[in-house]
Amino acid sequence: MDNFFKRHSTRLKTTALILMLVLPFLLYAAASYNSMLQVKLLLVLMGINMLYVMIIE
Amino acid sequence: MTDLFFVKWIFAFSPILTVLVLMIFKNWSGSRAGAAGWFVALITATLVFGAHPELLAYSQVKGALLSLNVLYIIWAALLLYNVVNETGAIKVIGMGIQRFSGDKAIQIIIFGWIFASFLQGVAGYGVPIAVAAPLLVGLGFSPVVAVAVPAIGHSWSVTFGSMGASFQALMAVSGLESAYLAPWSAALLGITAYLCGIFAVYVYGGWKMVKHSLIAILIVGTAMAGTQYVLAVSGMWTLGGFGASLVGLGTGLAVAKLKIYNQTSPSQSRQEMGLWWALSAYLILIAVVSSGVMIPSVKAFLGQVKLTVTFPEIVSLKGWVTKAGTGKGINLFGHGGALLLYSSIISYFVYRSKGFYKPHALKAILQKTVKSGVPTSLGIVSMVCFAMIMDHCQMIYILAEGISRVFGSFYPLVSPWIGLLGAFMTGSNTNSNVVFGVLQQQTAQLAGLSTALILAAQTTGGALGSMIAPAKILVGCSTVGLSGKEGPVLKVTLRYGLLITGIIGIITILASLIT
Repeated sequence: MDNFFKRHSTRLKTTALILMLVLPFLLYAAASYNSMLQVKLLLVLMGINMLYVMIIE
Repeated sequence: MTDLFFVKWIFAFSPILTVLVLMIFKNWSGSRAGAAGWFVALITATLVFGAHPELLAYSQVKGALLSLNVLYIIWAALLLYNVVNETGAIKVIGMGIQRFSGDKAIQIIIFGWIFASFLQGVAGYGVPIAVAAPLLVGLGFSPVVAVAVPAIGHSWSVTFGSMGASFQALMAVSGLESAYLAPWSAALLGITAYLCGIFAVYVYGGWKMVKHSLIAILIVGTAMAGTQYVLAVSGMWTLGGFGASLVGLGTGLAVAKLKIYNQTSPSQSRQEMGLWWALSAYLILIAVVSSGVMIPSVKAFLGQVKLTVTFPEIVSLKGWVTKAGTGKGINLFGHGGALLLYSSIISYFVYRSKGFYKPHALKAILQKTVKSGVPTSLGIVSMVCFAMIMDHCQMIYILAEGISRVFGSFYPLVSPWIGLLGAFMTGSNTNSNVVFGVLQQQTAQLAGLSTALILAAQTTGGALGSMIAPAKILVGCSTVGLSGKEGPVLKVTLRYGLLITGIIGIITILASLIT
């Protein structure tokens, strides 16, 4: 597992960064349409992405 | 302070405390600690400060927009640096400087103060220490001095360096214009420039060498501080650090020719690439940024596409209101980052046409840019996003109110220390401004102090934090064979970093009496 994270470190971090920048805009769309279920789901996804950042470092 | 308010204050401080503890005591990186801080902010905001899903959603979009504004500059600055460095031009610039004087004091001034500041102006993110330290070792300085000198020397130029990314962050989080923020920021950082020069020389040769170099420090310091002030207040803050250090380089090389500094014979080494070709990318940058900022028709043409998002009024469950409005917009083609991008592309083709690149250079340039850009960006986005959660739930206001109640009219004395703390914990002036910018702004308003002055003290402290940030010291030490032996370097930079911050605190409180 450690080997995998080391080998693909830059790629994994780039994916996390893209998600960090894209998810908020999906959140905006969901909040604008008052779709609270989607907002909650996307917030959970953001949380998972933050966890992912903590793990891949 | 009532007991209940104190408990609320502690909760409001918990995300920042988390980042501090994890970075200082657990040696976590900025991105990892930022993500942990985000979790703590999310939980505290929801359980204690009345955050709800809609509030969290809008705060995160605002965070992403702010981050994009800063990242645009950071990525383009890194790209430009790699476009230049891949040709070997940075080394050529260094060797070009060395040919001017054999005087040790002048070498310290030129490499450790001016050239390190110049590198901060064009790249930043640890590059000044990483590049200048091995050059100083090559000139015969001890590894500890070689890392400590550029670490101290470049700090003053961090805010307006890297194309003003830290200043951009300060404007973004405070919502204030450069015309309001720039004069005090440039003034305090200008004073810091002299102090950094003096202490960079002192580290190597004590007061005797400071006395020997005093004329050079005064002339070069005035040239750099003055140029930075003029550029910052005239709206060209993206070129503040770069322009100042470029003028500093010219002045420094002229000063090196003075009789008192010309007793020892300089190096005679020659490089394949001429100094002017090495500097050509930066001359292109000056031309592009000057056109984009100073020629009204070009500025209007580039400013036609602006990305903005409108937000409704957001009220927390505890009744804290964030007014409706547009978030921080992105001027897609006229942004500082865009101007840097144009310069990088033009420079790449100029260097390529002259045959300065090896095969597959473009791939190497892009790979190096991504490799250094991604971790920095992760740290910035996670910290901006948690700062936005705190801002929308009154947490930053409560922090500011607490500090204002405790320190009252002595707050200006403390404000640079808060900036220093932020940079120390995050390794970045930009992150420090993001995390503490709004806190300092609101505290200043509550205490009836000049916001421009307090935010200037914040960013000056943040800039000085660069010399003591473990993340940057680690980078410098790794380039001179001091990996695992960072302690002696940190001991030196801490001593002078804290001393200069104390002086800036005193200047800030004196300035607060006249504003």
